Amino acid sequence: MLELSSLTAGYGRGQVLNGVSLQIKQGEMVALLGANNAGKSTLIHCISGLVRPTGGTLKFNGEDFTDLPPHKIVELGISQVPEGRLVFPQMSVRDNLLLGGINRRALPGRPKRLDFVIDLFPRLGERLEQLAGTLSGGEQQMLAIGRALLADPKVVMLDEPSLGLSPLMVQTIFRALRALHDGGLTILLVEQNLNLALAHASRCYVLERGTMILEGSSAELKNDPRTRNAYLGL
Amino acid sequence: MKSDAFLFLRNPLFLLCLVVAAAMPFWLPSYYLGIATLALVYIGLALAWNIVAGIAGQMSLGHSVFVGIGALLSSALLLKLGINLWLGMLIAAAVSAALAAFIAWLDFRFRLSHLSFALITLAFAEMGQLAALGIEFLGGASGLYLPPDKGNILQFEFGGSRGNFYLLFVIAGLCLLANLLILNSRLGYFLRAMHDNENAAQAIGVNLLRNKILAMMVSAVLTSLVGTAWARYSGFVDPYQMASPRVSVEVILFATIGGLGTVLGPLVGAGFLVAFGEIVRGKVGAVLPGLHFFIDGILIVLVILLMPRGVVPKLAELFGRRAPKLDVANLSTKTAA
Amino acid sequence: MDDVLIQAVIQGLLIGATYGFVALGMGIVYSVSGVINFSHGDFVTFGMFLCYTFWGAFALDPYLSVAITLPLFAVFGAVLYRFLIRPIVGVHMLMIIQLTLGLSFMLQNGLLMVFGGQPLRTPSAFEAKLLFVGDSIVMRWPLVIAFVVSVFLAGLLYWVLQKTDLGRSIRAVHQNARAAALVGINVMAVRTITFAAGFGILAIAAALLLPGTPAHPGMGLRYTVITLMVIMLGGMTNFVGILLGGLVIGVAEAIGTVYVSGIAGMMMPYAIFVLALLFRPKGLIAGH
Repeated sequence: MLELSSLTAGYGRGQVLNGVSLQIKQGEMVALLGANNAGKSTLIHCISGLVRPTGGTLKFNGEDFTDLPPHKIVELGISQVPEGRLVFPQMSVRDNLLLGGINRRALPGRPKRLDFVIDLFPRLGERLEQLAGTLSGGEQQMLAIGRALLADPKVVMLDEPSLGLSPLMVQTIFRALRALHDGGLTILLVEQNLNLALAHASRCYVLERGTMILEGSSAELKNDPRTRNAYLGL
Repeated sequence: MKSDAFLFLRNPLFLLCLVVAAAMPFWLPSYYLGIATLALVYIGLALAWNIVAGIAGQMSLGHSVFVGIGALLSSALLLKLGINLWLGMLIAAAVSAALAAFIAWLDFRFRLSHLSFALITLAFAEMGQLAALGIEFLGGASGLYLPPDKGNILQFEFGGSRGNFYLLFVIAGLCLLANLLILNSRLGYFLRAMHDNENAAQAIGVNLLRNKILAMMVSAVLTSLVGTAWARYSGFVDPYQMASPRVSVEVILFATIGGLGTVLGPLVGAGFLVAFGEIVRGKVGAVLPGLHFFIDGILIVLVILLMPRGVVPKLAELFGRRAPKLDVANLSTKTAA
Repeated sequence: MDDVLIQAVIQGLLIGATYGFVALGMGIVYSVSGVINFSHGDFVTFGMFLCYTFWGAFALDPYLSVAITLPLFAVFGAVLYRFLIRPIVGVHMLMIIQLTLGLSFMLQNGLLMVFGGQPLRTPSAFEAKLLFVGDSIVMRWPLVIAFVVSVFLAGLLYWVLQKTDLGRSIRAVHQNARAAALVGINVMAVRTITFAAGFGILAIAAALLLPGTPAHPGMGLRYTVITLMVIMLGGMTNFVGILLGGLVIGVAEAIGTVYVSGIAGMMMPYAIFVLALLFRPKGLIAGH
């Protein structure tokens, strides 16, 4: 469904991604692992259109979307839940969610999807008129996910969803992700938390300093010492 | 970096231009000599402004107040109290210095953002003009007429167009020298550190308050001196011209087009644009008033879009020389979304 | 209660509403792009001269010719954003100030070249009419019209910002442009539309302020300074704050000229402005 081929990208003189390739099939939950500066976020941003790759192609269901602007990529069906949540702090939870469904494809079904998200995250439903900036970290994460869902996406990419959250919150969030995945949603998970990623994703990629060094099923990678080494920066 | 600033003083091309310029009273017809003298006024103003804006990075829109003080206060002291203009010039410079120190203190004490500083100095400029127009002692709306120039140097009279040219030449030269000296000194080093990142500069021990005040005071004193000289040269001190915020804006435009932060930039910018403007005004001013300013406006828009560091750095780049370091255009602080 | 005072306050409130409305134009432009347009007031002047031209050519009252100037200005704002502002987004604020100062020069002197420096009057339907309230309050009709229109349009703008998807998009781009892009908002389109709206407001303001006021090319700076003061008082992107700031400046100006004679009176708005900037940099009204 989603295919990256030989992607290169960099800011200025430093190359952040060196010929990275990645495939995700419909209905999969795939994890992207790697240490801090491996280039995971850059990869996600390339897919979302925020960063222009210097080489390589991006394809969605066979169609090249490398040159599309960010808003058209959302319309295509690829949504990102960004690192740090990035909710709109001075807007209500409801307004945040409504904005999630602003793209042309999602707009007609927006009221229904709003109800769906509120069912998924009842806490959001209780706080609809509250300003998003006053929510707790976990609630903001729920809001960010909900907002991405309102775009009626075919693929959702989450950038470090567990960052800064309490273990209880992480459980809640991942339970919701599991439910979404079971419902047929394709998910790309970028996670620093190795165990979390291996536990939920069926397949993993490991990125190290801009190069994809490992790829395989979670079971395989779990036992591969190179996976842990990549995290220790060896 | 140390010897860089003075290097071009020894450049033969520059020296040649200097000699040619110094000899202008002897080969320029008097109409053009007047234009050259006015150009020197703006060159001095632009170079003085460059110290706070180009080097220290503080966009003061209020320098017209110092021009006004230099021009109006010294003239008023002469006409109303009989104080010798030399003394008046020094008094005006002192007043300007005090006001400058106050403004710099405000900037430091209230941690003003670039925008706030610009707006506050703009407010001061507006209030300055109102004061100039409203206070009778300073001549009010009708301005002041200085006594005719009889060439008595002790009375701050320089004997007509040639003498006035050299007066302004010397003062503009002072402004140029000040820029070079500062750039070459520790003060310049500190100012440029502050320009780039105030917090970082403070962290490495730069005394923000002292340096802000120093830069502002030097700039204000020089501006005030130019103001007094301008008054003497012009003979008629017009508050609508010499105390108006427009002067600030013109100086900003000239300096920026030339190249803020460099030494040659404001010099070349002010020199060419004033000369060009006056010539255009002379030729078509009656039919198309304001044409030269219109063109100035187009120029600044083009410069900012195409060569944001200014014309001089761009030329230096094109001719292969290393362009001067200071770069307002690419600062990372306080950028637009 | 002193009649003169009441008259001054009312006058100040009436004009203050328009000041606030005009400042909203700058406020929303700033909120999506970080641009402070120092030629703001000169565009108002330009609008006034356009109205003057339409009166000269077609005998159109400014209140009518605004139907032409409004779309013109909107298009111009959009074009300005696309070709002049967007290329320099990310560049230091001071360069943008300089760019807009350059525009100011162009506008002022362009108008000077075409129309000369003498103030020009544009006749309008209500310019001399007066509205009497009670036995001592007199208001000029154009001022009342300006007030009503300003308040109405400000309210409309508020409603759009709060209740429509476009308005939400504008607020989103202001609060976090990156997140807005990720949500599917066409950030460039939103910014362009906002610029168009901001400039459209200037066209309307020109038509509101023109009746009864002789226009001359240099009057723009005054409006720019007033707008800057209103924005800084209100808190650059605080909608209600800006409107209130407009009222404050309007009243301060009116009271100042009545009660404090001479230059001290004229200096008052500036002095208040400096004090507000120093002690309340986030605007007089606390909030976002």
